[in-house]
Amino acid sequence: MDYLLHILIIALIYSIFAISLNLELGYTGLYNFGHVAFFGIGAYTSALLSLAGLPVAVSMVCGMAVAGGAGAVLAIPALRLSGDYFGIATLVFAEMARLFFLNERWLTKGPMGLPGIPRPGWIGGGVAALPMFLAFCTLLTIAAFLIIRRLTTAPFGRALKVVREDEYVAQALGKNVLTLKIKAITVGSVLAGLAGGLWAHYITYISPGDFTLTETILVLLCVVLGGRGTNWGPVLGAFVITFFGESVRFLPIPMDFGHFVAPLQGMVYGGVLILIMLKRPEGLLPEYKG
Amino acid sequence: MIYYLQLILNGIIAGSIYALFAVGLTMVYGVFRFINFAHGELIAWGAYLALLFTQTLFSLPIYYAVLPALALTIAIGLAQERYVYRPLRHGNRISLLIASIGLSYLLRNAIRIIWGSDLMTYGLKPTRGFAFAGLSITGTQISMMAAAVLFLGGLYFLFTRTMLGKSLRAVADNMELAVIMGINMKRVSLTVWSLASVFAGVGGILLALDTNLEPLMGLTNMIKAFAAMLLGGAGNVWGALLGGLFIGIAENVGVAFVSPGYKDFISFVIIIVVLLFRPKGLFGILGGVR
Repeated sequence: MDYLLHILIIALIYSIFAISLNLELGYTGLYNFGHVAFFGIGAYTSALLSLAGLPVAVSMVCGMAVAGGAGAVLAIPALRLSGDYFGIATLVFAEMARLFFLNERWLTKGPMGLPGIPRPGWIGGGVAALPMFLAFCTLLTIAAFLIIRRLTTAPFGRALKVVREDEYVAQALGKNVLTLKIKAITVGSVLAGLAGGLWAHYITYISPGDFTLTETILVLLCVVLGGRGTNWGPVLGAFVITFFGESVRFLPIPMDFGHFVAPLQGMVYGGVLILIMLKRPEGLLPEYKG
Repeated sequence: MIYYLQLILNGIIAGSIYALFAVGLTMVYGVFRFINFAHGELIAWGAYLALLFTQTLFSLPIYYAVLPALALTIAIGLAQERYVYRPLRHGNRISLLIASIGLSYLLRNAIRIIWGSDLMTYGLKPTRGFAFAGLSITGTQISMMAAAVLFLGGLYFLFTRTMLGKSLRAVADNMELAVIMGINMKRVSLTVWSLASVFAGVGGILLALDTNLEPLMGLTNMIKAFAAMLLGGAGNVWGALLGGLFIGIAENVGVAFVSPGYKDFISFVIIIVVLLFRPKGLFGILGGVR
């Protein structure tokens, strides 16, 4: 039972993460392959501040702010690039962030990671607090979902879709393409920072190994599998991927072959990503194009 | 002084291998106009396949193991094109990119399943280096430079003296026009992918001889090859060559000034700076053979 609660919490955190990437990848058509950087920045900021004694809520808000700020700072130069180049620049940014976490030992303790990150005081620690933490995550996921749905059904969201389909049309309609993209990345990064903060305070231990290309692939898979440019797609994708990932633990795998599980999972994720692109690029829930 | 000269020499050695990687990446970009994220996996697979043929089942000496390893690397390269990239060529560009990220993840995890995640070597006895004028160089490093000169020289011959090379350049210049003029696209595509795979495989084996094998070697070197390709201007083969040398030297000399943990940071910074200030590449002005 506790294990089910744990899976649900992870799925919700990944839902927020995927929702935030979907705003950039699905709605605005920005190939962000370094989204994990903002997840990591949110996690580290929130963890460090709460370890320094700030209340968890305050440090999570700070984490979101720092992630959003980093997103805006990256966006302004990186958005001069188009398509593939933007993808590479963001991928490189994520690797730079990881190297920073790894090497700045005075701040992040490097590869040792940060243990003992506090849970929110009113939730408390340990297994007994899982239902409360689940409720906390559910509330935040619903909030993130509603904010993004509000944004994307508003004229702002329609403008983003025009940018995705054809930038010149958006310009001809008098939209400032650059500002729209910067706003999308900033909002996306803030939400990724929220997901990262939740992750840090839930797991209570983070290290640079938690923020690698693997996490980028996972969240990309959540968005692409669920359906790019839809509101429910990323949530569905996050739940499918999380439950798949955890169900592998129950397979009757002999002890000697235990070390094959993680790479095999990785091969499945990579293979599924290719198959979706080949066979069903719109994902499980196709975007409605009226 | 000798210290810096040695660093520059090491840089040239590393750079000649980066050049091999970058030339393959840039050729694929020049013809097909997309960045193959799975190019790094050709590097890693080349190196690991050579390991396979030197081990128990075949136990060939390393210089004989190279040939079957390269043949299989070419097969992987051609399979990438045939089963993933060709079906997606006329679709959405983002589909190609996501599929190539998925493919690289699939291939990387396949390496982890077959050979595990630990560092490995070919198990050759270390040879005594040569020393002249206070600089030292090992036999492996000499063969690295020799291989780079041999392969890139062969490429120069192919491009300038053969009909096949001319048709490659024509396709890179304008694919539609080239096809209209009766250039056999299948042959061109076969050549480009074979060359890219061979260059990646040879570079990977030589690099593994000099250092070691690990599953992440593909990703790390792909990013460096990408930096080299950008420096040279995407699609410019001789630019990529110079770019590779530049990255190698910058990285090795840079270690004298920053902590070794940040060695990979140097190519990241180069990528970001070039993308922002000289998107056509540092050596784009030289023109060169495309």
